[in-house]
Parts: sequence; C-alpha cells; structure tokens
Amino acid sequence: MKYAKVYFDDVTVGDELPALVKGPIQQIQLTRYAGASGDFNPIHQDDEFARAAGMGGVFAHGMLSMGFVGQAVTDWSGAGTVRKLGVRFAALVRLKDVVTCRGRVIAKSSKDDVNLVELEVWAENQRAEKVVAGRATIALPARD
Amino acid sequence: MPIQINKSLIGKEYPPYAVTVERGKIKEFARALGDANPLYLDDRVGAASEWGDLIAPPTFSVTFRDETADTAAFLRELGTDISRILHGEQEFELFRPLQPGQTYLCRSKVIDIYEKAGRSGPMAFVVRETSIADRTNEIVATMRHITIVRL
Repeated sequence: MKYAKVYFDDVTVGDELPALVKGPIQQIQLTRYAGASGDFNPIHQDDEFARAAGMGGVFAHGMLSMGFVGQAVTDWSGAGTVRKLGVRFAALVRLKDVVTCRGRVIAKSSKDDVNLVELEVWAENQRAEKVVAGRATIALPARD
Repeated sequence: MPIQINKSLIGKEYPPYAVTVERGKIKEFARALGDANPLYLDDRVGAASEWGDLIAPPTFSVTFRDETADTAAFLRELGTDISRILHGEQEFELFRPLQPGQTYLCRSKVIDIYEKAGRSGPMAFVVRETSIADRTNEIVATMRHITIVRL
C-alpha cells in the first residue's frame, strides 16, 4: 500500500471520516486562493464591490470550501485516491466563518480489481448550516 | 426587469487550449488550501511514490484556463457580467492524478443553460464541461461546472 492510507477491506458502510476544521476564514486566505487558482473575481476581495453586487459583502470562493472537502477525503484515504468529487454550493462562506468538513461511507463496490468506496461529503459552518454538499468516489487497494 | 441569457450558447465548443502544469503551481495551490500533504509539496516524497513525482490535489484542474481567451468575453456573450455570477456546482472525475511537467489539452463545451426560480429571484444555470487529455490524447480528467447567473 504505497499511497492509500486505508485498505478497502477495512472500510464499512456507515464509517465516518475524521472531521477537518478549517478557518476562521481570513481575507488573506481568499487573496492567496485567488492567486493560486487564478480566480480574481473581486466579489471575494473587495467588500465595496461585493456590497454593490447585492451580496452583502465579501464571501469565500466556493472552490476553496470544495478544496477543504477534498482534503478531508484525502487526509483519510490518501492523496491520489479520489476518482470523483462533486458538490453543490449550498450557502456562502463569510469572513470569520469556521468550516468543518465531514464525510460518511455510503457504498462499496468491486469490479475488475478496482475497489471503489462511495462517500457522502459535506462542509458546515459554525452554525451547523451546510455550505457544501456532495459525493466523492475513492479507489482503495485490497489486502492481499 | 431581469436580464436575458443567451441560450444559443448551448452546444458551443471552445477552441482547445494546452496547459503545462508547473511544479510550483501545485505547491502554491495546496498551500492556499492549507493542505500540507507531502505528495503535493515534497519533491522527494513525490519521486519515491508510485507516480514518480508530485501529484496535484483533486480540485487542481480548476486552475486550468485558456490564457489567450478573454474570460469576460464569455460572460458578455452570455449576456451578463462578473458581479451577477455565483458558483452553483462543481464536479471532477479523475482517471489519473495530474502531475508537474505534463502538458494537457483542455476542451470545453456549454452543455446546457436553463432557468429556475431561486430563493432570491430568477436564476439561470450554465452547465459547462471540460475534458483534460494527456499527450497521448487519453482523457485523464473531466470537470463539470455549473455557473449561476442572478437574472
């Protein structure tokens, strides 16, 4: 097992991933993410612009929260295990919000020596409101 | 009076564009997420791994864009501007991790545009898909991106 951190055999439907807590979100992180991702929409940087756009102020890139969810998965299963990650952005993440990413195993399947684990994944803010909700599929090695 | 979205863009394919993944860009992206996974950051760990080099985090391909294209032009063509758009949904399918030094060819297409009443008023959903192929023309990843336009 070179990269995966967990064996397919040791995963059970209903298992929960360790929670990954990110934040409080600071403007500098949004600026840094803008630079790293190339998404320079001023709505994530310029409070005046965000207010004029009717958004009530700056909010985080959805992709930042999705990246956190991806980390919650790979912290548990290992980098390079993700085959699919899909989310809906359910609510805005604001400055000072704390984002907690969670996941749960909902299915397992094996076909042609490929062992897949399906996860429900989500992130919530400090008021337990879902900000991101979706699914992930990971491929894991089996014990010999 | 809500704005009108240009639905004639459904089915439109954009010219393919090549992206060469830079090692430093993977590290910068992982650090911006606060993800210290050594497979994203440590060249020696990457070299010793089964991939022989660093790999990119699962959402990294969101950084791929056509540097020669005017991104504001897509929004203008759609009939909107950057102050009205929100990210609705995003999906990545990864057949192989993306790696530094590799050049990928990206092809994007508008799959669908539909309107729905949202909590805060009418909205249009613009669904785009991008396929990412390696030098041998094998698809290594796909992205599905739903942009919401507040009408």
